[in-house]
Amino acid sequence: MMRFSKFLKVEAEIVVARYALVSDETKSRFEPVIFFHPEFAKRSGVKEGDVVEVEANGRAVKLKVKLSESAPESGGIIPNGIFASYLTNFDGFKRFKANIEVAEGEPSSVGEIIERVKP
Amino acid sequence: MSFVCPGCSCLCDDIEIVDGRILHACRRGEEIFEKYKENRAKPMVKGKEVDIDSAIEEATEVLKDSKNTVIYGMDTTTVEAQQLGIELAEKLNAYIDDNSSFCLGEFVEAILRKELPTTTLEDVRDRAYVMVYWGANPFHSLSRHMSRYSYYPRGAKRPRGYEEDRFLVVVDVRRSETAKLAKKNAKFIQVDNDDELVDSFFKVMEGKAAKYAKEAGIILNEMKKSDLNVIFGGLGLKYGLKDLGKFVEMVRKMNEVAPLYFIPAGFHANMRGFNETLFEKTGYVNKYSFKDGKGDVDFAFTSLLQNGKVDTAVIIGTDPVSSLPYDVASKLKEVKTIVIDPRMSPTARVADIIIPSAVSGIEMGGTMVRSDGARIKLEVIEERDVNDIYILKKIEEGL
Amino acid sequence: MALNPMDIYKLLPKTNCKKCGEATCMSFAFKLLNRERKLEECTPLYEDKKYERQRKKLEEMLKPLEEATETGLIVDEGLCTGCGNCVVVCPVHVEKDPKGAAVGKGITIDDPILRVEDGAVKVINMQACRRYGKNRVLCVVCRENCPTDAIRFLEG
Repeated sequence: MMRFSKFLKVEAEIVVARYALVSDETKSRFEPVIFFHPEFAKRSGVKEGDVVEVEANGRAVKLKVKLSESAPESGGIIPNGIFASYLTNFDGFKRFKANIEVAEGEPSSVGEIIERVKP
Repeated sequence: MSFVCPGCSCLCDDIEIVDGRILHACRRGEEIFEKYKENRAKPMVKGKEVDIDSAIEEATEVLKDSKNTVIYGMDTTTVEAQQLGIELAEKLNAYIDDNSSFCLGEFVEAILRKELPTTTLEDVRDRAYVMVYWGANPFHSLSRHMSRYSYYPRGAKRPRGYEEDRFLVVVDVRRSETAKLAKKNAKFIQVDNDDELVDSFFKVMEGKAAKYAKEAGIILNEMKKSDLNVIFGGLGLKYGLKDLGKFVEMVRKMNEVAPLYFIPAGFHANMRGFNETLFEKTGYVNKYSFKDGKGDVDFAFTSLLQNGKVDTAVIIGTDPVSSLPYDVASKLKEVKTIVIDPRMSPTARVADIIIPSAVSGIEMGGTMVRSDGARIKLEVIEERDVNDIYILKKIEEGL
Repeated sequence: MALNPMDIYKLLPKTNCKKCGEATCMSFAFKLLNRERKLEECTPLYEDKKYERQRKKLEEMLKPLEEATETGLIVDEGLCTGCGNCVVVCPVHVEKDPKGAAVGKGITIDDPILRVEDGAVKVINMQACRRYGKNRVLCVVCRENCPTDAIRFLEG
């Protein structure tokens, strides 16, 4: 079933911050996840478990949605790591604006990003 | 027997291993002990597995031919290995840099140049009253920071517990987990622009109106109750400030009201060790060029890559593919990359040469420097002969 | 998430029949929450068909009671970063371990209430908790200093 929100792009404030529960210290795992503030998710028609395309600086990744009250009210947190680094620039390294859109399919993988960094 | 956790710059020295269970380490630290045998790097040259000595020889040959080399990283290895890395950079007339040039290096530099007054985490535990976490969320980044060193422990002169004997301030652009802990005798200041809070402290001290006058006034008043107050500054502060000089001046001026110290909130386990080791040798904490005999923003790993100034990068124990913006990380494909790392990190996966190393603090002993400058001796669980020291020595000998 | 006696009471027969041994259904609701009574002791709920839906709701509602420790403490390791705030703030630990947990170090006593093991907090000895037993105090210091609700109590 198509959802109305699928056709809407919303702007979100992204904060990049360390998140202890999504990665593995052996560098074998990094969860493709974005933590939206519950209020922002509600306003934007995004649900926990959705996959969203997050686009910033002309690049995009697909991340799975989780909710956290620790996220900025007008957006979300992308954990410090390969997905956030792929999107960001030094101008706005830890805090930037991104476009969010509900997407089909699986979230991006670490391998996919590595492939884009060095084809 | 206790072990030191090499997981972050808290370097917690009370980790015990009992019947295979890791006691007291936080989740991030625990994984280093529990899974140190997982996802190990293998010696490789251009995608082909080779033996370790061939990988080292191949790297040495590449370095002999290289005109402009940068040595980058070493924030997760020991001071002893860092010294060798710096020696190697000198011998190669190379550039040397680490994560601190886009992390908290400039704060460490201000401390080492004695522009920012600092103290130890033990003194914080025993004496600190006002503690400000500014642009830092230790709950996730340095999980035990508050329970081990700052807010929660009873201190020699702070015996009554956090609700009476501490005043917690959290400054952030969002209501972080740490902000949620600011309840009684505490203040959460949600800023949009960190400079405005710096400005408010100045204005309040001058008796003028300001955006955060109320909050700044309360904090300055609370500070007067103690001979030790501390700001822990994190990456949110670093990237929120337009002008570090103004912040340094603010801390200096606040010291006219009551003693206030600064400790960087933390980073990779031995980032401060890198800063101190290079500072002792050259007078600069990072982004240094042995060819030019000085440090400069142009010599930062990120600038060198973006400006095409290097042909070879030796990346030791760090993972720029995961930590640097795409515009920088994607430039790695234009240079020869030699990765020395215990693990098959995303950066190792794109390297031309991989030299597998040992996990410092698990498979190699030595010294690391905690976020406050304390030197901590690491213990070894299972010694591994091929470690950063062995590899760096071997390369240097081969040149 | 938190259970309260009023929500339980609303689903009981509210007849104050005393078959369970309590004077009122409200009192039975309190005892259920404290796990001094079991739902099966309310025999009308099981015998009278008209209560079947309420009984099923109650069974669902009281499920967390089985997972919780004797003091009503529930730990969700998936939310725990192993920060150790709970271990260090616990008043019992502070008293019993002045050179360990009280000053922020890993707890040194053998039978602490809580200890961080394998990266997350584990319940070791609930009987030492101030919430345990007849003379309990409803202390919530550990929960108050857990910002992700990795530690909760049944009553909220």
